Amino acid sequence: MDNNLALKVSNLGKKYTIGKQKDGTFRSSLANVFKSAANKGEDFWALKNVNFEVKKGEVVGIIGKNGAGKSTLLKLVSQITKPSQGQIEIRGRVASLLEVGTGFHPELTGRENIFLNGTILGMSRKEVKLKFDEIVVFSGIEKFIDTAVKHYSSGMYVRLAFAVAAHLEPEILIIDEVLAVGDAEFQKKCLGKMDEVAKAGRTVLFVSHNMAAVKNLCTRAILIDKGQVTFEGSIQDAISRYNSIASQQKLKFDTSDYSSRKRGIKQIYVESIEFNHINYLPSSDFKVNISLGKTEEFNGKIDLSVFVFDELNNTVFQLSTYCYNETIEYQASNTYQFELDKLGLSAGVYKVGVWLSGNGIEQDYTEEDITIEVDSGNIYEIQTANITSIVQKDFIFSIDKNGKNKD
Amino acid sequence: MSIKIIQAGNTSIFPDFKELYRYKDLFLTLSWRDFRVRYAQTTIGFLWALLQPIVTLLILTLVFNKFAGVETEVPHIVFTVCGLSMWSYFSYVMTNSGSSIIQSQDMVKKIYFPRLIIPLSKALVGLIDFGITILILIVLMIYYQVAPAKTIFFAPIFVIIGMISALAVGIWLSALTVRFRDFQHVVPFMVQVGLYLTPVAYPIELVSQHLPKWAESIYYLNPMAGVIQGFRWSIFGGTPPSSMIFISFAMVILLLISGLMYFKKVESEMADYV
Repeated sequence: MDNNLALKVSNLGKKYTIGKQKDGTFRSSLANVFKSAANKGEDFWALKNVNFEVKKGEVVGIIGKNGAGKSTLLKLVSQITKPSQGQIEIRGRVASLLEVGTGFHPELTGRENIFLNGTILGMSRKEVKLKFDEIVVFSGIEKFIDTAVKHYSSGMYVRLAFAVAAHLEPEILIIDEVLAVGDAEFQKKCLGKMDEVAKAGRTVLFVSHNMAAVKNLCTRAILIDKGQVTFEGSIQDAISRYNSIASQQKLKFDTSDYSSRKRGIKQIYVESIEFNHINYLPSSDFKVNISLGKTEEFNGKIDLSVFVFDELNNTVFQLSTYCYNETIEYQASNTYQFELDKLGLSAGVYKVGVWLSGNGIEQDYTEEDITIEVDSGNIYEIQTANITSIVQKDFIFSIDKNGKNKD
Repeated sequence: MSIKIIQAGNTSIFPDFKELYRYKDLFLTLSWRDFRVRYAQTTIGFLWALLQPIVTLLILTLVFNKFAGVETEVPHIVFTVCGLSMWSYFSYVMTNSGSSIIQSQDMVKKIYFPRLIIPLSKALVGLIDFGITILILIVLMIYYQVAPAKTIFFAPIFVIIGMISALAVGIWLSALTVRFRDFQHVVPFMVQVGLYLTPVAYPIELVSQHLPKWAESIYYLNPMAGVIQGFRWSIFGGTPPSSMIFISFAMVILLLISGLMYFKKVESEMADYV
């Protein structure tokens, strides 16, 4: 391997077998012996023919949609699972922040857990001892260091866990979407550590679909789609390609199986819900197309409402035909569309529910897990995450250069 | 700086022992953790480690000696505690390393280290229970005034063989349990049945008296049959064990080598299965 490379991935592939055969029972294994090969589960390549190189000291963003293969790639690089094809060459120690708090035991004290976690992450007891004081100070929980971890608040727990991971000093640091969890302070600490590691000349692999964070922190990006590297190069190009993949595709949910939904009498029901993008930005246009099905002959007037909930199940807003002045007639061949010029939601995952009534009687309400994802459009959002609200109102902003002198 | 190469395909049939040695601190830390949390939040704490073997011992003596009339060269209770010390170590390691990887799935899914460390660490923790039963043995030997034989210098050898056989079975079971959860139910059954198929509470002579030769050699396929007989001979002396114990020892070696190979085969995909 070239001397200034930290990581070289060649022809990498990972295959999973999907289907019944991998349920891990003795019986199925015995049964397999007598079955023909044709009967075995289907192969699924989570990654295939992946090639790329990372130079020492680079901060590389790995981006891609959910299920594109990013996590599989990380698992392979950190040696958690074995490739089915190809090879990876790594120079130096690899540590990943997806393992924050791994192996913590609730019955042990903070002190004991530092040693336990440190050795699990690959430090020797001697190394942990040397860095012990530093870790404790960094975590800021000196007072509770001899208390069992089960009595910690979740914030304290994460801080201690991160303090251990932050003192690993790896040559290659892998950061997963861990940034999406934890409080704003924790996110800031992660980012700060990442910056520090990069400035010390170490290599960072940053996996995220927060484009703002990638733009802010990385020097180069690799775009993964359907298990393959589709682009490698500048951040700007990678992001615009990513966005074009995301916005070209529509997101359609089939809700024609209404049997598990409790509300409504289901003369007519919500058959499918289609969104105009897979990923939204706060400034994206938002269109939702609803088609309806019927279980018996139905004629007359209908009303539709679209509810949008945040992760805590608060209703963020609703779009309802009650605010629409004309009556809406049901037609089997119709689809019904709500449209917003600007979605105006901050980054996050939102659940959507559609409510339907016909001739004044409740007909159906979708209770399935229908979600849309909004990425942050503001590259500084990470830093201001603790003062971010849910709704981004559409506003007019102006600057009067002479405003102060007017009075 | 070292270059590590991760490749598809099988590279070696045995675990990387050099790497295992590098992770010795993890091995020690995991053993120490198990020891620390074992009796956490129990009222009588460590006394449990003493109470369990004593009760088992009393019941075995009651059933085998008083009810069934099994006679032994030394007082039956001393005879039994000697076998029980090895057996309880074996069953502890077998039970705990069997389920060990499933129980550490959190770690296995998120971070790399040689997985073999997990079952290995159980072998160290089990020594505590072994030590406690040995303590009971010493107390009872003093009480019944049984003097140790000159052959006692052989005892460490049998203890080591006992440890290796417990580990061999433990390694097999830990890998099998990852692949087939059925073994979670098999292990407690093995422990239960094993106690009677091992000469813990009765002398091995009863086996050769009541079973034909071929059945006796099958009996010795149980590695603990040879280990316990040898260990007892080293402490109390008397007639040396029959050459059949080599069947047990051969079995230990076979189990260990095949166990390591099977573990290595399953190891690389453990994170996908657990």
